Amino acid sequence: MAALVEYIHEDSPVHRLNALTKIFWALFTLGFGLLFNDYRYLLALLASVLLVAASARVLQSLLPVISGLTVFAMILFLIQALFYNQGQVLFYLIPGVDRVPVTVQGLLSGLAMAARMMTIILSFLVFLTATRTQDIVLTLVEKFKIPYDYAFMFLTALRFIPSFLNEVKMVSDAQQARGHSIGGINPFKKIKSYAPVTIPLVLLSINKAENIAMAMETRGYCGGNRTCLRDTRMGRTDYLLTAALILLLASSATARAAGYGVM
Amino acid sequence: MNRQVLIKAENLTFKYGTEPPVLRNISLEIARGECVAVIGQNGAGKTTLAKHFNGMLKPVSGKVYVGGRDTERLKVSVLARTVGYVFQNPDHQIFHDTVGKEVAFGLKNFDLPGKVIEERVTAALETVGLTAHHATYPFNLSKGQRQRVALASVLAMQTEVIVLDEPTTGQDYRESMQIMNLVKKLNQNGHTVIFITHDMALVAEFAQRAIVLCNGEILADGGVRSIFSRPELLKETFLKPPQITALAQSLNRYAIPPDVLKVKEMYELLKARGEEIGCFS
Repeated sequence: MAALVEYIHEDSPVHRLNALTKIFWALFTLGFGLLFNDYRYLLALLASVLLVAASARVLQSLLPVISGLTVFAMILFLIQALFYNQGQVLFYLIPGVDRVPVTVQGLLSGLAMAARMMTIILSFLVFLTATRTQDIVLTLVEKFKIPYDYAFMFLTALRFIPSFLNEVKMVSDAQQARGHSIGGINPFKKIKSYAPVTIPLVLLSINKAENIAMAMETRGYCGGNRTCLRDTRMGRTDYLLTAALILLLASSATARAAGYGVM
Repeated sequence: MNRQVLIKAENLTFKYGTEPPVLRNISLEIARGECVAVIGQNGAGKTTLAKHFNGMLKPVSGKVYVGGRDTERLKVSVLARTVGYVFQNPDHQIFHDTVGKEVAFGLKNFDLPGKVIEERVTAALETVGLTAHHATYPFNLSKGQRQRVALASVLAMQTEVIVLDEPTTGQDYRESMQIMNLVKKLNQNGHTVIFITHDMALVAEFAQRAIVLCNGEILADGGVRSIFSRPELLKETFLKPPQITALAQSLNRYAIPPDVLKVKEMYELLKARGEEIGCFS
């Protein structure tokens, strides 16, 4: 779990792209995914995202996430299949009285929803794993004119997640080693049994936040004008790709308006 | 006395995910009443090994037995009745508003009667020298004191085996000695003690046996005396024998044995040697 949104260092063509280009790509995927609801379009989009993940060499590390998402996708698919009752009926779940019809359209729209959900989440995960967090922040500050303090907060929050998960493990280990067991069937008891884990966690987190703030101040962090060491300029590939993505999105919007890719 | 094995590892291998193994093919036996030090450089796998002894980690391949039971399917909270584990960082466990309640937590988990809990808490706080702090808010104590609270909370459980992960970090010399003397006393009272440390003087002083880890493998396992008399072996995992042993080794040509462990021992040896050649009269 801990490695979910962490940057994975690789030297791939995707890693070499400017962060801005990758943001555009993720937004493009989002836009494209929301424009169409034909399962074929969305499955093709999902395949393209997986292809990008593979070329960024992060597919292997994302596999556990993908399998987790598949479970949710299945649930989505099932819900859609059960509650969508227009169109050509395939069979009834309660056969005798012809209740709960499962329709072809229901199945296909379930497939489309599942594919859309996976695609959109995965595209952002690929973006996060293939882009240095510093670059994301720098792009947010330089290109999107977000105040540095907010961008820095975003960065710190991201960085906090893996170490927090690590601490969850440490604390629950420490309590279990003293004979504490989380669980039971009674929900009230169960909630109460989380206290020995949550209290140290909250205390540790507050402590850590304070320490980070102090460490930042001792290293001269303050507001005001900043200059950057790293270059955020875009290369030729970046411009070409961005242009291509914008063009593609514009033409798909036109195609959608003309009635393609809708079921 | 009959040797009764309490902890046994058979070809234990452990790794995190797809990374290279942290522990490789570890086989060892720890018998009742032993006092064992686990030593090795940072990242050698000391803590990872120790965490297998109470089931917090399960071997990827191989077996670990605690009191004859395979840890694979046992919960940590069950094994906690046999193996107590004192963590490096006390702040991972402290959550009560008084020291006394904190120490009682483990005992309450064992469903002991209130009177027994009260007695054991008092006794444990006395052994770690925190009797006066029974009602103190733990976070008003120093880190060293909090570490002793954590130690007391495990001591109170009176488990057969006690694992201590670097019990003396953050303690001054006097406090470390206090803690280690306490560990010694526990061992004399029949508890099996396993401790991780970087301080070779503590190993020489308090352990009977040392397990030397190097890159996830057992480099050496044996009596402390025989291990420290092989400095070339220790060098492999960037350890040095305690200073007094190093001194003895450099005095080897004056017929001083290379396995001296304590200053007092050295003093006796030098005195005997002096009398032999007629230095003292």
